[in-house]
Order: sequence, then C-alpha cells, then structure tokens
Amino acid sequence: MVNASWSDRYRLMVLMRRFEEACLTGVASKAVHGELHTAIGQEAIAVALSEHIRADDSLTSTHRSHLHAIAKGIPLRPLLAEIFEKKTGMCGGFGGHMHLFDRERRFSTTGIVGASLPVALGHAYASKLRGSDAVAFAVVGDGSVNSGGFHETMNMASVLGLGLVVIIENNEWAISVPFSAASATATLAERAVAYAVPGERVDGLDVQATSDAIGRAVAHARTDGPAIVEAMCYRFRGHYEGDLDLYRDQGEKSLRTETKDPLVLARAFLSDGILDPVLLDELEQSASAEIDELLASVLLDEQPDPASARDHVFTSGLAPFEGIPS
Amino acid sequence: MTITEIAPRNINISQAVAEGLRLEMEADEKVLVIGEDVATQGGVFGSTRGLLKAFGPQRVLDTPISEMAFTGMAVGLAMDGYRPVIEIMFVDFIGVCLEQVYNAIAKIPYMSGGRVDMPVVIKTAGGNIGSAAQHSQTLWGLFAHLPGLRVVAPSNPYDSKGMMAAAVRSNDPVVFIEHKGLLLKRASDFTFGASVPKEAYDVPLGSAAIVRPGSDLTIATLSGSVRHAVAAAEVAAGQGIDVEVIDLRSIVPLDWNTVCESVGRTRSLLVVDEDYLGFGLSGELITGVIERLGMGAMDYVGRHGNPGVPVPAALSLEQAIVPDAESILAAIMRAGAAR
Repeated sequence: MVNASWSDRYRLMVLMRRFEEACLTGVASKAVHGELHTAIGQEAIAVALSEHIRADDSLTSTHRSHLHAIAKGIPLRPLLAEIFEKKTGMCGGFGGHMHLFDRERRFSTTGIVGASLPVALGHAYASKLRGSDAVAFAVVGDGSVNSGGFHETMNMASVLGLGLVVIIENNEWAISVPFSAASATATLAERAVAYAVPGERVDGLDVQATSDAIGRAVAHARTDGPAIVEAMCYRFRGHYEGDLDLYRDQGEKSLRTETKDPLVLARAFLSDGILDPVLLDELEQSASAEIDELLASVLLDEQPDPASARDHVFTSGLAPFEGIPS
Repeated sequence: MTITEIAPRNINISQAVAEGLRLEMEADEKVLVIGEDVATQGGVFGSTRGLLKAFGPQRVLDTPISEMAFTGMAVGLAMDGYRPVIEIMFVDFIGVCLEQVYNAIAKIPYMSGGRVDMPVVIKTAGGNIGSAAQHSQTLWGLFAHLPGLRVVAPSNPYDSKGMMAAAVRSNDPVVFIEHKGLLLKRASDFTFGASVPKEAYDVPLGSAAIVRPGSDLTIATLSGSVRHAVAAAEVAAGQGIDVEVIDLRSIVPLDWNTVCESVGRTRSLLVVDEDYLGFGLSGELITGVIERLGMGAMDYVGRHGNPGVPVPAALSLEQAIVPDAESILAAIMRAGAAR
C-alpha cells in the first residue's frame, strides 16, 4: 500500500471529506443527537496513515476518530450507522461516534483525551508477546500530549522496546487553548528526545510528506521501538459541532481554510501535470456518489430497541438490578 | 492416616493468592500479571511470589510507577485476547488510573454493544493497617457504584485462593480487594476457611457464606471485618444474643438470597462495613433488603462503619474510627437494646 496511486489517494481524501460532511448533516437533521467532532482539514494525515497500516496492526484513536477508522479499513456502513446511532452500527448504537470498537481489526477509540495511548501500549505488548512485528498506532491530538498518560506511555514503550507509532495531529487548538499557550516545547517532536526515541515534525497538509514520515516511523517501530510523528494541521470546524469558535481569529481561520485546504492543495499539485483535471472531477464525483448513497441507506435504519438498553453491562449477563423497578 | 494428611497447610493469605494465580497461569498461557514490584519482589505483600520464576519476565512484568499506562495496557491486551491481572499495590492509588478502570475496562463491553469483553482482574490491597489516610481505605463502595465491575473482597485463606481463581477465569472485569491486615495472617489464625487444598479450585463469585449461624441478629460484613464480627458474636452469645455472621465475599453482585433468607429469620440486620458509610455498601444493602422483603420485614436495622472520616494516624484515633471486635460488640448490644 506504500505505493498508492495518486488517483486512489485523491479519491480517498475526497471520500473522507464527504464522509465528515455526511456526519454534519446528521447534526443538522438531529439524527445525531449528541456532540460530534469532525476532522475536516485533517484528511491528508489519515490518508497517509492508511498507506502504512497493516491489517494486523492496531490503531487506537480519539474523540476525532472517523477518518482514522476509515484508514484502518473499518467498513463505512457500520461506521456511519454507529455515528448515526443506529442498531446496524458497528457497536449496535451503544457506543456512538466517540466510542468505536472493532476487535478483529484491532481498532478502538476513546472519548477521553490522552486515554488512548495506554491502550495502544497494551496492543504493542501483545505483539511483543506473540513475537510479531505488528505495530500499535496511536493517533492523538496536540491536547493529549500534556496529559500524564502520554508521558507514562512513551516512557514505558521505550523502556520495553515496543513497536508503538504515535501520530500527533497538531491542529494547534485544544478546544480554546492554543498550542503556544499549552506546550513548554516549541514542537512536540522534540519531546521524543526525553524518551530516547525518534521524532519528527511534518506538514500534515502534504500527504506525500506525511506518508514518508509515517513510513520512517513505522520502519523503526517494526524493528527497534517507538517513534513519534507530529503532523501539523488546522481544525477547520469548531472543537465540536455547536462550538461557536469565538476564540480563534476569524480572519486567520478564513484564510487558512481557504488557502490551506489539503484537498485544494492536493488538487492544485495534481493538476500540474500529474493527473488530468477531468479524472480529478470524476474521482470527486465518484467519492461523493458513494457517500450520498451510503448516507441515504443508513438513514433508513432503525435505532436500537429500548428494551435492550440494559444489555451488555456484563459479558456474563450479570444484571445486578434485575427485577428491581428503577 | 499420616500426620501430613491431617495437618492443614499453615500458609498465609498472600501465599494462597499467589498459589491461585500460579495454577491459573499454568492452565492458561493468556494470563499475565503486571504491576509494580510484582516480579522480582513478588509483591510488597508477597501475593505474586514465585510467579516470575515459574513464568518468566514477559508474563510477569515489573512496571515503572505508571499506573495509568499499565492499567490502560490491560485494556489493549484484553482486546487482543489476553487475560491480564494488574496489581494496584494499594487501592488508595486507584486515583491516578481510575480513568482506565471506570471509563475503559468497566464500560467497553457495554459501549461495544457486547462485542468486546474485558477479562481483566484489578488486584489490589485495601483496608486498615495503621498506615493512615492515604494507605488504609477499602473503597469497594466506590468501585461498586460504577457499572460494569464485579467487586469482591475475601476474608480467609480458602476463599482468597478460590476467588482469585474465579476472578481470573471471569469474562467480566473483577476488582479483587485483598485486606492488608489479613495478607500475612496464617491459616492457623482463622476459625473459618483455614484449610487450603493444594490443587486448583474456585469459589464462585457472587455467593455469600454464613460464617456463624445465629437466630437473633444478622450481621452482614466482609473482608477484614468478618473475623472481628465472629469474635464479637461469640462474646454476644454469652450475653444472650445469638448473632448470624454473613461474609458477603462479593459486593457486585450481592448475594441477596443469602442475606434475605437470614434477615427473614432474624428480622434484624446490622451491616458492618470498614468502608465509608455514606452512599455505600451499607445503604445499598439495607435498601435492597427492603426492596425485596418489604417495609415490615425488619424490627431492627443498623450500620456500623467508618463515619465518613479519613483514617487517622494515631492508634487512639484509628480505633475510634475503624470497626474492630470491641466496637462491633457494642453495635450488637445497641441492636439488642433496640429490639
């Protein structure tokens, strides 16, 4: 997958954008009744990730996880259905968009910032116990790296020599607190030195550069130990849908979303003698049609039966309040 | 009959726990033990002693002081088919890693719609041992409040080995709370559950045990308080009150059948709980009995435990807060006077 064609790459970027836009329609229509975090503007990183992650690698992600799920090969229909709170969702509607689990694909997310890293450590240790070179990927944001779990996980992964790749999507904002006010170090890549592991910062809007950086990190992790990639990007939407986003300078936001859109940048790059613009149009239309069809289909699905709301608390079926009116 | 056959092994509770772990690790190579000082040291109370030698440093892993990391590690390992036993040395330390316990281990079976189980044992030592406010809590009420966790606390050597075996075999996550005041006590120190077979066995989680039958008052208690309650009951018997002592053994789930059957006979319930009284086991137990037996089922209800006070350092203060045989006897006498 490392030699992905540019047409596949571009189509996947567009598909990811359309997927997130489909999720936005769910907020507007109230088919998604809780909060929603999208990664619009961060597609290049997820596409780059998809080019290096193997079926037997694990991936743990965050509250902003839809594109990582796509990169891991989670089927789109149960993924979108879970986000839309449907019985047909990958977790039957019990998890919702922040809590996605696919055991066979070694994929999970958590809604707690920083909490995915220790879970990735467990996957990495499992690979070691099996004598496998399968890598544990953890994709986190720049907010999570200031939590204790980041430090504990990086230190333990390094001291145990585990195959862990931490991809930090540095979108410069931890809700309303800017990166400049939250990090003692100018970059997050340089924190790798503290754990005696390689770390590099890369332009996360540039899919080729990001793919190359992740490739280097993965090669290191499969044989030697953990590595960090800090991919710079910009969160196009508010932290969540409904966030008024008044903490960011609106002029800068407009400028960056218009001139630094990874899809626009990729199209401009490809149009310059790499791919025929007609083909680019066709790829965009194809991706859009796929998502349109998917969304229309998912919207027809039912929500889970309310009579099942007490199921699954315990794997054994234990129900401590069975028979007690509540 | 030879002498070896009639003499019970005089092992301590830590040894019983370690033996239970060893037998389960022999039976299932997916069982791992992870925590601080669990390997080379064999646990600060010796309850993982011998495991490193038997199973090597990959399955018995000494960690840095990084509870958040290694507790979360158990989540990833469980997703990958392992059955990790993680040791939080003192239950008081749960504050630094509760996130992974209550948001991940406890909830993932539910959040995944039943698709991902979490066969994790959170092995930890609780209870008073003269170590003051930050090293003496029991906290089973805290864990029991959170959905998705089985919570157990054995009181004797036989149960300690058998309940650890059951915890390891459980597909539900189990918080296994040892009592620091019991871990180094030997079988000969116990009048109940003193005989520990060498072979593997399990004690099903969720069943209480009647340690001392009686007809006048039901005491429901657990862990380190059971032996104190039995001692107090013997004294009370001499003063005309025949106390039944129930060792709950499991907090989640509670064995309502055993408790309700007993209360149905004695019509009197005293809950003795080393944990904080407020919003905890005692209130839950009394409410649950009323829900099941009705408002008229009891002539006396009482509770005796820590009245919401951090455990103090000085022995004189500690004795004023933590239940012991003397204070339990006083509670029995209050119950007797009230009936």
